Amino acid sequence: MSERLEVLLLDDEPIVGKRLKPALAKIGCNVEVFEDPREALERIDQKDFDIVVTDVRMDEIDGIEILEHVRQKSSRTKVIMITGYAMMSLARKAMEKGAFDFIAKPFKPDELRRVIARAADDLGLSVDFGTGDDNESNI
Amino acid sequence: MQAVQLLKKIFRQRDRGQIPFAELFKRFQDILEKNNAAMELIADMDGKMGGDFVFDRKYLSDSVRKLKELVLANAYDLNFITNNQFLAIYDIIEKLAKELEVELSGQMVIRETRRIYYFHEIDEGMEDTVGYKAYNLSKMVNLPKIDFPNGFVAAISCYRDYLAYNNLFDKIASLIEAYRKEEKSVESVSTAIQLMVLGGDIPPNVRREILNAINKTCHGKVEESYFSVRSSAVGEDGEMSFAGLHDSFLNVRSGELLSAFKKVLASLYNPASLAYRLKMNLFQMEMAMPVLYQTMVVSRTAGVLYTLDPNNPDRPECILSGNWGLGMVVVEGQAAVDTFYVSRHTPHAVTNQKISSKKWMLAPLKTGQARKVPGEIQDKPCLSPQEAASIVEAGLILERFFKKPLDVEWSIDESGMLWIIQARALKVSHTKHTLREDLSDVLKAHRILLKDQGMIAYRGIGAGPVRIIAAGDDLTDFPAGSVLVSRYAPPRLAEIIPRASAIITDIGTTTGHMATVAREFKVPTIMGAETATQVLKPDQLITVDAERKVIYEGRIEELLHHQLLEESAFEVTQEFQVLRRILKKIAPLYLTDPNAPEFNPRACRTFHDIMRFVHEKAFQTLLQTGSNPRAFLKRGGKRLKSQIPLDLILIDLGGGISREADSQTHVSPDQITSVPMQTIWAGLSSPGTWNMDPIPVDFKGMMSSVTRTQSSDALGNNLPGVNLGVIGTDYVNLSLPLGYHFTVVEAAVGSRPENNYISFRFAGGVTDITRRSRRATLLQTILEQAGFKVHVTGDLVNARAIDLTDKQIRRNLYLIGRLIGFTRQLDVMLKHDADIERYLAKFINQAKPPEEDQPSNDKEG
Repeated sequence: MSERLEVLLLDDEPIVGKRLKPALAKIGCNVEVFEDPREALERIDQKDFDIVVTDVRMDEIDGIEILEHVRQKSSRTKVIMITGYAMMSLARKAMEKGAFDFIAKPFKPDELRRVIARAADDLGLSVDFGTGDDNESNI
Repeated sequence: MQAVQLLKKIFRQRDRGQIPFAELFKRFQDILEKNNAAMELIADMDGKMGGDFVFDRKYLSDSVRKLKELVLANAYDLNFITNNQFLAIYDIIEKLAKELEVELSGQMVIRETRRIYYFHEIDEGMEDTVGYKAYNLSKMVNLPKIDFPNGFVAAISCYRDYLAYNNLFDKIASLIEAYRKEEKSVESVSTAIQLMVLGGDIPPNVRREILNAINKTCHGKVEESYFSVRSSAVGEDGEMSFAGLHDSFLNVRSGELLSAFKKVLASLYNPASLAYRLKMNLFQMEMAMPVLYQTMVVSRTAGVLYTLDPNNPDRPECILSGNWGLGMVVVEGQAAVDTFYVSRHTPHAVTNQKISSKKWMLAPLKTGQARKVPGEIQDKPCLSPQEAASIVEAGLILERFFKKPLDVEWSIDESGMLWIIQARALKVSHTKHTLREDLSDVLKAHRILLKDQGMIAYRGIGAGPVRIIAAGDDLTDFPAGSVLVSRYAPPRLAEIIPRASAIITDIGTTTGHMATVAREFKVPTIMGAETATQVLKPDQLITVDAERKVIYEGRIEELLHHQLLEESAFEVTQEFQVLRRILKKIAPLYLTDPNAPEFNPRACRTFHDIMRFVHEKAFQTLLQTGSNPRAFLKRGGKRLKSQIPLDLILIDLGGGISREADSQTHVSPDQITSVPMQTIWAGLSSPGTWNMDPIPVDFKGMMSSVTRTQSSDALGNNLPGVNLGVIGTDYVNLSLPLGYHFTVVEAAVGSRPENNYISFRFAGGVTDITRRSRRATLLQTILEQAGFKVHVTGDLVNARAIDLTDKQIRRNLYLIGRLIGFTRQLDVMLKHDADIERYLAKFINQAKPPEEDQPSNDKEG
């Protein structure tokens, strides 16, 4: 079993955390979910996360600010942005500012898992996708 | 008033001519484009119901907003080209949009407050109107092998009317207040309220409606009928929390049906219920009591099924307990009962049983009293092993549907028929399988048959024996609980979806018709798995994991359990419920028949209806701009020149005719670049299709045609007598008043199957109605075999095929082309019913479609 990835997940829509937390836990992530950007920022100051997943558009503090804050604190942490499908310009801006990647809502949990796997790879860590999947003799 | 209408009409008619054809034309193109965009959007939203996506409120509100913009723009275009003939559409759009807005905000839309609902009338999201018990029953209406007693619910408005009529709202509130201030005990408050409720009068309209519904439910035989009258509580988790707190009355006869209503209402205020609600702070607003009326089952044996052992949920066993007569003693745990442990695996063998000496039972009907069980059956099991198996089978169907372990009340009547009385969630203790990680060892022991192929149309886990369905297979014997495996996803399979434990298709999309039905019945489904029909073998036992797209050999009980006991299924999240509700106002198409009198803006119930209405009316407007070929030729229409004596004018929307024909007034078939038109023409002009010989019309046939009204009227369109084809690169709308027939074909070949459709309408014909009906039957047979959904009224045929692959749509358009030629004057030939078979054979034996790769056995459309 590989080391667990520390992931912070921020989206002001509760549904996102609710659906993603179990999906990410299944691939061996420790996930902390936040809906309030302020609380998320506080937590980021306290703890080193491997990966931060944040929505771009939130009411009070937007995802770009979160990105900048994380990058300031640690250049090691990978930031993955979640964007609405009409927000491509913001996504581009985020990439310029050092986001690892972005993913457009609505998306499948699997898509995010794949991006996280790549981020983990970049960090020299690995994600455990395995739940019996090694047994592929008949494919 | 009439004069004004007349003036308006004259005014309109004069104005209509003023819109230049080019402008009208451009608007029609616009409408088509927006239609496609809207359909894509709807398909996209519908696809999100499968649970495979994470989406949020923003997605929902953005989609609704975009959709509304498209629909509004189309309504505007239509009104522009028709001189505001359809202003009513705006009101309908606004009304729908407002309702959607409320749904999006998460509030309940205030629905029509009817007093009585029959089960089939209860819609999504009405649990607060009819209560949980009735709501859950209504969900079972279409499930296979599930029968429950006929009945209705006196909804929340009956309760409110009753309280208002008797001035009880304030009185109850002040008594509750007294309890809150600790001036009175729960018991005394409860007694006081119950006495007031029991002493009230039922308002005359409520009384009338209840009696009327009772009468309807027992088909007028009120005197001989017995009813159960039960609470259907409203509130958070209704069924679970209030189980047993409210009164149920069995064997209620005609004289007591209304007083039972009062008694059930009063039980809302019994001490236990009152205390519970006060403790949970569920007061006032949430406190209401719909009342459920159902006919009594003349019960031989009745009891309760737990689909899992609540204390040992990891065992693959159900617990079944029962007694002779009515089930009440079992539910209330009063008397000795038989207990059976039954395997969850088919054939559901009884693994263990404890047969008690059952001395007492509640007699069915008449008395409903406790009585002695006749000595000779006291010690006999009250269920046969077959009956136990069938109860478990039904329970597991319900469990699959509700995705929860269940507590099911059932009853077997004197003829041996099984009835479901109610089903509610069963609380089970913690299980060792709640974490996915625990499953990896189990999963490793099972061979993977397919992996990562296709798309998930509905998330979930299903298991059962493989049943591969091919074209033409009889569907009636599809065994419940099997995994439906099919090469294609034709609409005809929809009828067996509720019986399937899972679905896998080789080809098909998550936004097609089949996927939509699968979601409705919550059947785990993988579409487009490519090789499923080759890899999977008939009767092979498999487990379909439509969460991670893996198909395992064997039945993995742990995986099925895992889904059952998972904390919260995705469907219970609020976003899903909102999506489900808004889709009801967006996606269904109710306005399918342009000839029906209901084809008007007021009848539009969904955005899809409005799109359809606008499209149809816009097309008719386009056609009405000319009454003879010359009118259309003058506007750039081109005459098709061919061997076939069919005077067809083609109007190009863009990309439908080769540019080299720009300056010509005639085009040859090979200059047609419209894909669907090309294909139809290929069929129509295939050898032997167009009968060149004069058709012998016999005297009887001819005479009846004399008195017939113009056939185009039958299609309600008042279309001109011109054969007209409006075509674009991927669109065709053919309107053919051929002789005495009238055929309308409309088709779009989109970039994706969900944008493909063909609609075919056919009416009229020289000769009497019997022969015309024969022809309708022939057409229906041919079209249904090709996978169309066909609706026949008299001699009018309405067929529609949607969600077709590229190959399927070409094949079907070719077929339509042949049908147009073949049936041109066929009705005259169909002198006897037996002729239908003969001509069917003739049609099928004629020239085959041109494609080389046509497998002859997959007509599925």
